[in-house]
Amino acid sequence: MSDLKGNNILEKMMHEAERCLFCFDAPCEKNCPINLPISNFIHMIRNKNFYGAYEKVRESHPMINIAGFICPEEILCQKECIRSKIDSPVKIRELHNFLTLNFVKNQNLSLSPYKYEDVAIVGGGPASLSCTFFLRTLGYKTHIFTEEDIGGIPFTEISNDRLQKEIVKKDIDFIKDNFIYELNIEKVKSIEGLKKDFKAIFIGIGLGDETKLEIPGIDKDGVFYARKILRDLKNGKEISLGNRIGVIGGGNVAFDVANSLKNRFKEKEVFIIYRRGLKDLKCYPEELERAKNLGVNFYFQSSPIEISGDKKVEGLKVSQVSLKESEREKRRSFELIDKSEFIIPLDNIVVAVGQEIEDGIFPEIEKEDGLIKIDENYMTNLEGVFAGGDCINGGQTVTKAASEGKIAAFKIDEFLRRSK
Amino acid sequence: MFKLRDLSINFLGLTLENPFILSASPSTDELEMVVRGLESGWAGVILKTTSVEENPVPLKYPMMSSFGNYYRRVIGLGNIDLISKHHIDEIEKRVKILKEKFPEKMIAASIMGSKKEDWQNLVFRLRKANVDLIECSFSCPQGSMGEAPGKMLAQSISATEKVTGWVKEAAENTPVLIKITPQVTDIVEVAKAVKKGGADGITASNTIPSLLGINIYTFEPYPSVFGVSSYSGLSGNAIKPITLRTIAEIKRSVDIVISGNGGAYSSRDAIEIMLVGASNVQFCTLPMVYGFRVIEELKSGLSHYLDEMNLKSPLEIVGKSLEKIKSNEELPLIEVKANIDKDKCIGCDLCFISCNDGGHMAIEIKENRIPEVNIEKCVGCALCMQVCPVDAISMKEKMDEKEVIFNRR
Repeated sequence: MSDLKGNNILEKMMHEAERCLFCFDAPCEKNCPINLPISNFIHMIRNKNFYGAYEKVRESHPMINIAGFICPEEILCQKECIRSKIDSPVKIRELHNFLTLNFVKNQNLSLSPYKYEDVAIVGGGPASLSCTFFLRTLGYKTHIFTEEDIGGIPFTEISNDRLQKEIVKKDIDFIKDNFIYELNIEKVKSIEGLKKDFKAIFIGIGLGDETKLEIPGIDKDGVFYARKILRDLKNGKEISLGNRIGVIGGGNVAFDVANSLKNRFKEKEVFIIYRRGLKDLKCYPEELERAKNLGVNFYFQSSPIEISGDKKVEGLKVSQVSLKESEREKRRSFELIDKSEFIIPLDNIVVAVGQEIEDGIFPEIEKEDGLIKIDENYMTNLEGVFAGGDCINGGQTVTKAASEGKIAAFKIDEFLRRSK
Repeated sequence: MFKLRDLSINFLGLTLENPFILSASPSTDELEMVVRGLESGWAGVILKTTSVEENPVPLKYPMMSSFGNYYRRVIGLGNIDLISKHHIDEIEKRVKILKEKFPEKMIAASIMGSKKEDWQNLVFRLRKANVDLIECSFSCPQGSMGEAPGKMLAQSISATEKVTGWVKEAAENTPVLIKITPQVTDIVEVAKAVKKGGADGITASNTIPSLLGINIYTFEPYPSVFGVSSYSGLSGNAIKPITLRTIAEIKRSVDIVISGNGGAYSSRDAIEIMLVGASNVQFCTLPMVYGFRVIEELKSGLSHYLDEMNLKSPLEIVGKSLEKIKSNEELPLIEVKANIDKDKCIGCDLCFISCNDGGHMAIEIKENRIPEVNIEKCVGCALCMQVCPVDAISMKEKMDEKEVIFNRR
């Protein structure tokens, strides 16, 4: 409770909890990818049973500390909050964060003894850790195989502005200390090899490669790919950049790069350069809001044609585009407008146009549209090999990845019981 | 800019400019506060209960504790107060000053004694000061100097009648109110004793003996007085239903003037208290929590109510609800069904869960979370109506061919 001294956060949160209607079969929970028992934990907060509320949250979501900071509540739980039909939605994420920051109590953690066989988990990000978490609660021994230490994108790439490393560490440490049977920091070369030792395998390798932008001049000095910049920023590395930085893309990664650069280098000019329009952006509304507040500039309906400059980036030639509602896609389709090219003078360009699964990884596993293909049981084409997280969904929220890891854990359990 | 209705009433021969009185309480224990209260528009004041000099008053602090919620901090207020620290000497002086300064207002005093001489001596001295009315506290739950120590005077029928007699004998023409407690087996018997004793009216009622709460970590009750505590007198909006019941019961059986007291927080509350038989309403907790300024709302609310009801005097509403209060056996047997207004419903399904687990399993959920009443199963208990956060549920009542929609909690 020491963090609460000196301000009215406790009062504020109690009042917020009071606003919750405690709906039956609460819609907020249904719109939470991992179905957090929201109405239940808020009811406990209302009754000042803070530790009880914490336990409810802790046992339902392996990444509660991360989610407390970066879950996009506006498009998930809070979007469905019935209270908004009276006035405004209950601030669910804030209540959640209030618990995880102030009422941690793990001393009553009681995991059943290991009952079942060993399961291999390939990858160390949210989906893999979630699968580990739930498999362990079911009584399985989990063996993690990961190239670098566990944590995944939240630990290595999501900017410190949005998520501090020590917050991520809380979740990682909790899982490390209690849920992982064996942690192997090594790259898995082949799934077939693992299959000899494990009847069930979960793959949560995420997206290894960044989608390349294939335009002339992409190899010039001063062009970066987003994830490298994010990693450097996260690790506090020195980055040498010019005064005008263009970020190509319209998703969360593009915005995270643009926002963190603008926040770190207030005097530099940062531009988001996007092919489509404002309403086609794929980032969370709050990220867009943050970009506007920080003073990030925008070029909409501008499609990159060529990077200009001698050896080093001097500018980006773009063509204006016209947009049309598309029947096939949610986003509008675009068409270049003839002779509308112009050059945006830039010193650096950051490419953030998407990510793909690592080229050529696990050839024995079937892929579709650059992602691992799974059936309704989260199983790949290989018997006993399951997958979840960014490598099957193309990159969404941490909670979504965690929920897939969770579902896969139960599917693995089902599979192993059935095959006995 | 807007004119209020004439809210004046006659109360035991006194003319009050409105039916709202500051009751014997901390709000009336300092001369300066009383002056401010009266200046802000209260019709009268009953000075905090005093006694003779021999009775020392060792007050204990902290004195107050409460419970409430986000929207209203103090729904119930508890105190371990006793009586005024000022003795009759001082009160006598104050009555004189106040009478002079506010000749139009009711200046009353509250007293408490043990022996007959005490009671009568107090009355004599107040009369000498030209007091308008004397209220006798037979019911302070925290301390008693009545006949049997540790017990409230008004809990003994015979003592109530006897002491009332002493007081009235000394008071002669000065009106006497006896302030009773709801904490008795039969309130009607007490009221009858008050009437037999010769009092002019009853103040119904007082705070209710209670224990406000316990600190679950230290086991200390509230308000903790260095680790220990005592029973509190509970006041505030929380006790309004008890006050309504007390007044109604008395008024239905005993022909006596009643000054209502206990739990009114608004003009609407005051109107309710008058509807069950009180001629005026005393306030203590409301001004204690929000200040004397609340008189504005009380006066304006009552005035608009009279407008709406097309009535001339506030006294016209006194006891208007009494004939509608029946015993359970007398209530009609009717057909009742819950009715959900689909346009108002927000789909929280709280009605479903309460009916399912606490009613008659008569609400079903249709698509889009919209609840529907199963008419066959619904008995019309109205639990769903209580829990609906947007008042979307009403009760359809039917007897013979007559149908009534009841849509207020």
